[in-house]
Amino acid sequence: MSEKQLTAFKCIRCGKINYPKRPICLNCRGRDFTEVKISGEGKLLTYTHLYAIPEGVEQLPLTLGLIEFEEGIRVIGQIEDQNVKIGDKLVPVWGFLRKKDGKEIYGFKFKLASE
Amino acid sequence: MSREVVVIGCGMTKFGRHDDKSLMDLLVEASIKALDDTGIENIKIDSVYVATMLAGELTHQTAIASALADQLGLLPAGAQRIENGPASGGSAVINGYQAIASGVCDAVLVTGGEKMRHVPGDKITDLISTMTHPIAEYIHGVTLPSLAAMFTRLYMTHYGVTREHLARIAIKNHENALRNPYAHIHQRITLEGIYKGPEAEVNNPVISDPLRLYDSCPVTDGAASVVLCSAEEAKKLGISKPMVKIAGVGNATDTLALSERKNPLVLEAVKLASQKAFKMAGLKPQDIDLAELHDAFEILELAESEDAGFFEKGTAHKAVEEGVTLLSGSFPINPSGGLKARGHPVGATGVAQVVELTWQLRGEAGERQVKNAKRGFCCNFGGFGNNVTAIILERV
Repeated sequence: MSEKQLTAFKCIRCGKINYPKRPICLNCRGRDFTEVKISGEGKLLTYTHLYAIPEGVEQLPLTLGLIEFEEGIRVIGQIEDQNVKIGDKLVPVWGFLRKKDGKEIYGFKFKLASE
Repeated sequence: MSREVVVIGCGMTKFGRHDDKSLMDLLVEASIKALDDTGIENIKIDSVYVATMLAGELTHQTAIASALADQLGLLPAGAQRIENGPASGGSAVINGYQAIASGVCDAVLVTGGEKMRHVPGDKITDLISTMTHPIAEYIHGVTLPSLAAMFTRLYMTHYGVTREHLARIAIKNHENALRNPYAHIHQRITLEGIYKGPEAEVNNPVISDPLRLYDSCPVTDGAASVVLCSAEEAKKLGISKPMVKIAGVGNATDTLALSERKNPLVLEAVKLASQKAFKMAGLKPQDIDLAELHDAFEILELAESEDAGFFEKGTAHKAVEEGVTLLSGSFPINPSGGLKARGHPVGATGVAQVVELTWQLRGEAGERQVKNAKRGFCCNFGGFGNNVTAIILERV
């Protein structure tokens, strides 16, 4: 498997780093971006353990969190570890997310950074 | 120069579970009540606006506005469906307002409705989740309750809001709904039963922690309807009920993904939509006597009441402690029972808020009447705050 990396998109005109990908920069409406690889640890800002899971999700409860990275972007994603708290350091990992219309969807989720 | 617009008719179905009625039955029932409420026989309607989020997905009927105009015998009135997520109702009212204010129409019918209780919970949760960001949210299993839960945890951490505050809001809204014959839930709940007592864990299970069952609204069937008219036309028609005008409207959007907000604690679209409505009305939050807010989750009643300008950011829970927002308080919020207890048939909600305010401002709200209500405010909240409408009504 090729090495997948969480990627954000820096606006060439104003420098704002957008995540997820947009056709037009949220800040200046610029249209050209360069890719920025998000490599470091993120900080958990808030989270939940979801018990009322939607059709297509298999993990119960599903732990979801809002994670902030040094580049200034925030990402909402699944967290593999259930025992988390605000301020925890997390790293992205590639994996199965959910089914949609019978198809399996993969993407980035997160796990606690090793000490 | 825009024309003054008044609400001359309103009506709604009982909110609840309607296994024996189709969505069209509900829309027709609410519409007929609103048309009859004008007191004018065969009033001429220039355009019909129908607010519904999931008519096609859940009830297998599309182009539903044309069907409603037909069923009501309002042909050849114009007709359009407004789908704007949970803000569909507020959007439809604003569209109707604009048609009259601009002079394009003299009188319009705005009806919102949804029929959703017949669909299994995980399916409805998934369908409602399709309004989240497809890449940044939906594929990760994000649902509206999970966004509300993460928002609630932020609020608890930053402002000291507790489970008890949220429980008190739910108790208030259930209490108000007991006085509203149209409400979905007529059930008194207590702090003992949902928070403090030994059975609370069973009665009030976690949906998405820290959110529990009683921190969120039910799934509801129902419809609500208003007839809007230009003030001059209303005068000509000789409307006998007290006149209620639309003093201000506002609509604003915010980032689709919650993660892209500058400050995830601030509902920017609530702020901006409210500011627009207040500016148009030439009023301030202190001039408002009561509000109908979009408490799909009880945390939203708190946050909206702050971002709309009624309380300073991070302090609305203090007002809850002091009983300010009770029906008997100095600034009642959700006298109807709100989404929590009146129920939330998605497309109907924004219209039902305008119906409740009209009844309150006319003095027709019965046991839940707010004394001397002259001006009311309502907020209809789409997505997780990415599309919000604010409407101010005033007794003429």
